[in-house]
Amino acid sequence: MIADRIIEQGTLITQDGRTAVEVRIPWYRALPGSSIAGAALTVDGVSAPEGSLRWTMNNRTFSFEELVDETGEWWFPLDSAVLSGDLAVPDSQIEHEVRVDLKLYIPYIITDHGVLHIEEHDTKTMKVAQR
Amino acid sequence: MTSLGTPIQGVTLYSFTRAFHGRQYDLDGLIRKVADEGFGPGLEVIGFSSLRGFPDRIDDNFVGQFRDLVAEVDLVPTSLAVNVDTGIRRHRLMNHDELVEYMRKQIEVAAKLGFPIARVQISLTPDAMESLLPVAEKYGVTLALEVHADQHGAHERVLALRDRYEKLNSPLLGFTADWGATVTGFAPSLLEAYRRRGASEELLGQVVDLWNGFHVDGPPNTQKVHGERFGAFIGLAARNGRPDLGIDFAINGTGLFGPAPLDTWLEIMPWVRHVHGKFFGIDETGEEPSVPVRSLVRQLVENGYSGAISSEYEGWHWNNWQDPFDIIRGEQAVQRSAAANAGSAMITDASEARRILNSHLAQPVRG
Repeated sequence: MIADRIIEQGTLITQDGRTAVEVRIPWYRALPGSSIAGAALTVDGVSAPEGSLRWTMNNRTFSFEELVDETGEWWFPLDSAVLSGDLAVPDSQIEHEVRVDLKLYIPYIITDHGVLHIEEHDTKTMKVAQR
Repeated sequence: MTSLGTPIQGVTLYSFTRAFHGRQYDLDGLIRKVADEGFGPGLEVIGFSSLRGFPDRIDDNFVGQFRDLVAEVDLVPTSLAVNVDTGIRRHRLMNHDELVEYMRKQIEVAAKLGFPIARVQISLTPDAMESLLPVAEKYGVTLALEVHADQHGAHERVLALRDRYEKLNSPLLGFTADWGATVTGFAPSLLEAYRRRGASEELLGQVVDLWNGFHVDGPPNTQKVHGERFGAFIGLAARNGRPDLGIDFAINGTGLFGPAPLDTWLEIMPWVRHVHGKFFGIDETGEEPSVPVRSLVRQLVENGYSGAISSEYEGWHWNNWQDPFDIIRGEQAVQRSAAANAGSAMITDASEARRILNSHLAQPVRG
């Protein structure tokens, strides 16, 4: 829907082997944590291991397993969430290709195949900030 | 004979999703912009889009600020769009009691913020609507279930709701008619967006032909036919070497551009409490090329409709090269012209809108 805005330009940071980027919701309305079904974080073609991914929104950090039952915290359309994972991005001087994949459930659209899910992705190029 | 209706002009903030999401306007700024532009007096908001913390964390402080702002800029809250998030839990759908409570909380917020209508959605069955009637009565909020493509006014699910409404005979149960159910062409601005993504003229011609065929055949009356049409768009894209566009063709071709005839609205007209003036663009002649806005406004006027029409611009999904505010301005000019041609007028004065809306919602409009 608004996939070109998923990655916030200039927000790539790395520290001690973990890398994070800010992400915006590619949808017109807020979704609860339980609707955030999965993500991938890839920098220069290397993806963070799935189990190392964490999702931070509203000042709380979740694993994707923890998001499954999270119906109290919502991703609001104006807010950036933070997607982080185990990934070393050493060089702070060159441009890096950052890709984020998102899988979201749309909880009010029930199809013959279950709750509708959408898969969106965005790729942007930016430098990394070392922390 | 039914006296002519005087629909109330208005807009849903959904039309400006791209500007709001892009942080060009916050909620306060966007409401002021709507008022300054004269896009009201009717104001519709989607709870989960515009209101942070909706519905559980809407406190009295926010309620007071919202009401003060709306009063200051002299807009008239018409409908709060609420959602039936049946699939909010990963492993099962909501049960009946959970659904009623989920909706109750949103309807309560609608009442607190001063919205006389809560727009609800098609996944609510006649039984669910009957269960929600006491909630509507408690808060004095009309529940207007949205009839949206791929359904339409004569769809069996909609008629089942209508029949239950008739039995329950409450002025608080009705419909929101979304003009996207009765579209007459594949939106040219979406074709332009596909063109910008490299789609060939030949492929786009086939997309238009496929949709026009569905328009001739009429709307899908079963899920099976709907699914077949969905698949036909995907197949067409694949055959033309653009499988990446298939889902997009299918979602828009079946879910946004409903091919039902205009007269399907007559099946539910007496229960229409609110209208989404869904449209996709304004062309160089100042007209909407794929939604018959003039005929739809005339139909409402001639059937005595005096509720609000929220202009609902949906072209923002793909149109990132035109200003949505210019486009809304153009569409509302068409609505006003159409109402005048039908011998009536759109209501643009806030005081008059409040009086007329109160009257429209106080009793069923049954001919």
